[in-house]
Amino acid sequence: MSAGLLLIFDLVLVVTLIGLAIAALVSPDVRRAVMLFIAFGLWLALVWARLRAPDVALAEAAIGAGLGGALMLAAARRAARQEAVDGQTDARGEEG
Amino acid sequence: MQTLLQALSLFLIGAGVFFFAVGTLGLIRLPDLFSRLHALTKADNLGLGLVIAGLLPWVADPWTALKLVLIWVLVMVSGATGSHLIAKRALRGDGEDLLE
Amino acid sequence: MTDVFVAAALALLLTMTAGLARVVFGPTPADRMMGVQLLGTTGIAVLLLLGLGFAVPALADVALIFALLAAVSVTALTRRRVGQDRS
Repeated sequence: MSAGLLLIFDLVLVVTLIGLAIAALVSPDVRRAVMLFIAFGLWLALVWARLRAPDVALAEAAIGAGLGGALMLAAARRAARQEAVDGQTDARGEEG
Repeated sequence: MQTLLQALSLFLIGAGVFFFAVGTLGLIRLPDLFSRLHALTKADNLGLGLVIAGLLPWVADPWTALKLVLIWVLVMVSGATGSHLIAKRALRGDGEDLLE
Repeated sequence: MTDVFVAAALALLLTMTAGLARVVFGPTPADRMMGVQLLGTTGIAVLLLLGLGFAVPALADVALIFALLAAVSVTALTRRRVGQDRS
């Protein structure tokens, strides 16, 4: 197996993984951060697959990206709705 | 025979990679959401199908081959459903999605 | 053939990296979701190619989970609209 190809493969994987992590951390918008987190989970699963650990990749893809991403999307939605409701009640000056 | 099979597999995988590249290019370059959706589904269905067709001669047993084909069918079904959901949400949305 | 598989996986990885631009800079959430969907599909192809290239057949199961994940996350995103309509 040609080692050069694999070296380029690893470099692309690692650099993009770190870039994705930084982008997800510094993102001001919550939903954007969650989607970047899902992409990060997918990418991390690829890294585990490259390291020949298919079981860890399975867990990462199913729990880290899939379940965690879906739950965080739902949480972001509820938070946004709660914020909107709070803003309305604040404007109207009543308890909600 | 082996050489012919290799050439065919090489061609199919190359075509699949080409379709993925074109789909990614379309996702980056096309102007609005619906044309991007169009580019995305092409890459999803055709690119993955061609790559899997190129891989089929090299898998160990027929069950693994069946699993690969099953993955392709699952991706097609979920891709079609997801595209419908995204397009419907963008069409029905009160502009929040298109203006944000 | 192993080198061909790894080379094809590398090419697909490069297109994935390019497609990430739509996830990072995408103007709307739907655009980002489409980027994630393309990422998942290309990831399936990369996993299958690597599974044959490295002779790790279990990677096909990971690819199966990736296919499931795209459906789940798209549904989680679009469910938002219905929930807001109902409340």
